[in-house]
Amino acid sequence: MRASLFITCYNDTLFPDTGRAVVALLERLGVELDFHPRQTCCGQMHANTGFRAEAFSQAKRFVRLYQDAETVVIPSSSCVAMIRDQYTGLFDELGNEQLRREFKALLPRVYELSEFLVDKLAAVDVGAYFPHRVTYHASCHGLRALHLGDRPFRLLAKVRGMELVPLPNLERCCGFGGTFSVKNGDVSSAMLAVKLEDVMSTGAEFCTALDNSCLMHLGGAMHRQFAGMKTIHMAQILASTEMAPAEVLG
Amino acid sequence: MSHAQQPILDPALAPPFPQAALPMLRDTQLRKNVAHATDVIQAKRARLIAEKSDWQQLRSAAALIRDEALENLGGYLEQFETRCKARGGVVHWAADAAEARVIVLGILQEENASEVIKIKTMTSAEIQLNPHLQAAGVKVFETDLAEIILQLGELEPSHIVVPALHVNRSQVREIFARTMGLDNLSDDPQALTAAARNYLRRKFLEVPTAISGANFLIAETGAVAVVESEGNGRMCLTLPRTLITLAGIEKVLPRYGDLEVMLQVLARSATGERMNPYTSLWTGVTPGDGPQRFHVVLLDNGRSAIRTRERERQTLRCIRCGACMNACPVYRQTGGHACGSVYPGPIGAILTPQLTGMKHAQTLPFASSLCGVCYEVCPVKINIPEILIDLRAQVTDQERGKAARFFDPMYLGMRVANLLFSRAWLFHAAQWKARIGLKIFTSKDGWIHSLPSIGAKWTQTRDLRGLPKQTFHAWWKQRKQASR
Amino acid sequence: MSPTLAARAKILKCLGAGHEAGGATPSQSCPRDYIRRGSLDADGRLAKLIERLREYDAEVAECAPDGLASEIATLLARSGRNSFVAPAGVPRQWLAPGVNWKIDGESGGELATEEIERCDGVLTACFCAIADSGTIVLHHSAAEGRRVLSLLPDWHLCILRASQIVETLPEYFDRCTEIPALVTWISGPSATADIEMTRIKGVHGPRFLNVIVVKEQGMGSRE
Repeated sequence: MRASLFITCYNDTLFPDTGRAVVALLERLGVELDFHPRQTCCGQMHANTGFRAEAFSQAKRFVRLYQDAETVVIPSSSCVAMIRDQYTGLFDELGNEQLRREFKALLPRVYELSEFLVDKLAAVDVGAYFPHRVTYHASCHGLRALHLGDRPFRLLAKVRGMELVPLPNLERCCGFGGTFSVKNGDVSSAMLAVKLEDVMSTGAEFCTALDNSCLMHLGGAMHRQFAGMKTIHMAQILASTEMAPAEVLG
Repeated sequence: MSHAQQPILDPALAPPFPQAALPMLRDTQLRKNVAHATDVIQAKRARLIAEKSDWQQLRSAAALIRDEALENLGGYLEQFETRCKARGGVVHWAADAAEARVIVLGILQEENASEVIKIKTMTSAEIQLNPHLQAAGVKVFETDLAEIILQLGELEPSHIVVPALHVNRSQVREIFARTMGLDNLSDDPQALTAAARNYLRRKFLEVPTAISGANFLIAETGAVAVVESEGNGRMCLTLPRTLITLAGIEKVLPRYGDLEVMLQVLARSATGERMNPYTSLWTGVTPGDGPQRFHVVLLDNGRSAIRTRERERQTLRCIRCGACMNACPVYRQTGGHACGSVYPGPIGAILTPQLTGMKHAQTLPFASSLCGVCYEVCPVKINIPEILIDLRAQVTDQERGKAARFFDPMYLGMRVANLLFSRAWLFHAAQWKARIGLKIFTSKDGWIHSLPSIGAKWTQTRDLRGLPKQTFHAWWKQRKQASR
Repeated sequence: MSPTLAARAKILKCLGAGHEAGGATPSQSCPRDYIRRGSLDADGRLAKLIERLREYDAEVAECAPDGLASEIATLLARSGRNSFVAPAGVPRQWLAPGVNWKIDGESGGELATEEIERCDGVLTACFCAIADSGTIVLHHSAAEGRRVLSLLPDWHLCILRASQIVETLPEYFDRCTEIPALVTWISGPSATADIEMTRIKGVHGPRFLNVIVVKEQGMGSRE
């Protein structure tokens, strides 16, 4: 099984540890991974801030870059949602027939990480060991745009040594919302405060999710408040074994 | 209320959302009231949706029915007009709010009406009807409990179905005791409701002119349907001599039978009931029963323009159930007043700016984290997030050409970021530069606690992990080289 | 051209060509794959209706056709009320003795609103009842009365035959062979939840709803 990793612009810059975990995990499962050196961004930030022409040019670049890839794996639900939900509209409006065809051919080969594991690799037990108390936060894009359903839970259920504590009000948005977090920073912070109450109430050591965007928002507040909890991307939990426990940056 | 200022619900005058939201976020009583109210309705709704095995099919049918109406809106409006007139109704058309106000006041003046009783209609708030009538010497009596609370308390609505949800019982008690002269009034909701009932009884029996909105206009028969809980609607629709119904043009349904879908989705979405207590339907004038003079004022006020845009047309499917704002995590923290419009919440964020032709309320489309729960609960499947993103593009396109925006950090930053994303080497160089540049903000533990400019809105409540020394792509490249 | 005619022309123009004068054909073009017909038998429908009515604190009684008059009398007596209004079209047998009756529409005469306001209760028939939502539907025919009758008095007694009960809302619409000009759907007594979402019964409109269901002979699993 061959797959091409699209790391995402923000993971590349801020969360290389997540990327390393994805590599360790997928290679352990026998996937032959490649990494296109010219990748940058899927265009989501621009699309959601109203910079449509710019989003289009990044979308076009993405499609061109991956048109020959067997499979593209992306450890970020919001980026996959961007590709699945918004690329068609951008290409209808600003693209040409050829680009639309290329995208249509590529789309079924694009996977979010948990989708790739459960649907493509049929791997629910990935051999992970993470002896900690963990709560899972369902990112809105994963929940409502990608309909990930119980995939994350099925994967987490097989992690040895781990205690999964359910998160109250699981489906409520954490308040990140991309540039919303600064353009409406006050509201974002209020939503964060409310979400954090629920997260902290679990008594978990870690809060995990499939998106580092939510996690940097939650984790950033935890760090500011000297809270007794950290955030960690699910890839890092799934990659964790007895021999090679997860690296958790401070 | 704890705010020094009255909220401004005129989009032309309201402050930008972030500015309007801040005092709301600091009002812990408001946040508590809103959370409680929306939790109650949501729980009721959830219970009923769970028992309705055909809920998704109903939603699909409701969306299709509304789309069918909108597709041929002109035809259906003409059909409604013809049938309504055949039954003795008078149909007026108003291109905008000003025209509608003139028509309504004109009818009242013809009737020599010095008083009018009203059923709650957000459409009348949209056109700012009450102040216009009061200024002309017509006394307006709101008859919905929530509207009475707001009218007597001189407050503004914050929700389209439960407009006074931001007001709690002791606040209501204070308002009623003061304005109705009831010193010994308790704050028990039963007592408060009884006070309202007594206050209005004579008005219902004596005031000969009433104003209503419409939930649905039935093209097939020229009928109007009004959905309510308290009975004040039935009073206003039955007892007076003259009835004026104000309705947005998008309220039309093709057929009487379409109500079999719309009523099922509306009650469950709006109040979490299988059916609301009273739904009234009437067709023009019925001799001997109800108002013998009946006027319908069909209001455009920006709706026909919204209809011309393919992606945005679905905005007009809205049946004003309020489910979106009940579910919205932003609304939960800010309430409705921060939106600066009589239409708050997710529907307000897309409807209000569009009704102004995108000239006002431009911060509303950005007042969302795009979580998508509004789309999930909308009974007519309006893809609100999709429209929010499109409106953001419209606002940005309008703004970016202006000289003032050229050096705006957000606009500048976005253009620069796009350039950086266009070439991997530029992106990588920028990552490297950013890490160096942020070093002065990064403390010994590797975290950033304070940033300037836009970044300050992040760091006001969150730390940011300092940029790691090695990016992922650099690690991959190194690993690849090492394995050779 | 009057202002409203000018507005009309402007609005219709913006709504564009593609509409014909007189409107579109009223065909059912949308696929109807939601539930239209219920699955309960007659007994099941009755039971469900009673359950839903009682959820609203409506009083429900059942009787056989020959027991109706006495059931009405019992309920009226139990209500503690004295003056009742009924539309002229109700069967004479329903007008139980022992209370004051005001009849609306008798010999073409309608009662004044103030007279109706002074009545303690009202008695009407109905067009149909919907079990799913506990809804009573009035088409305001001669036996159901003008709308004001079932609005002003505080206590409403509605008589319905078991065969008038349908399970779902779409089934009600199927029964409308003629589309009515006036309809009132009543699903419980008036209520508000405007104050802190606390549901309070009885703002305007009758606070007390009573229903007598007349079970006809041979009520089995028909339909």
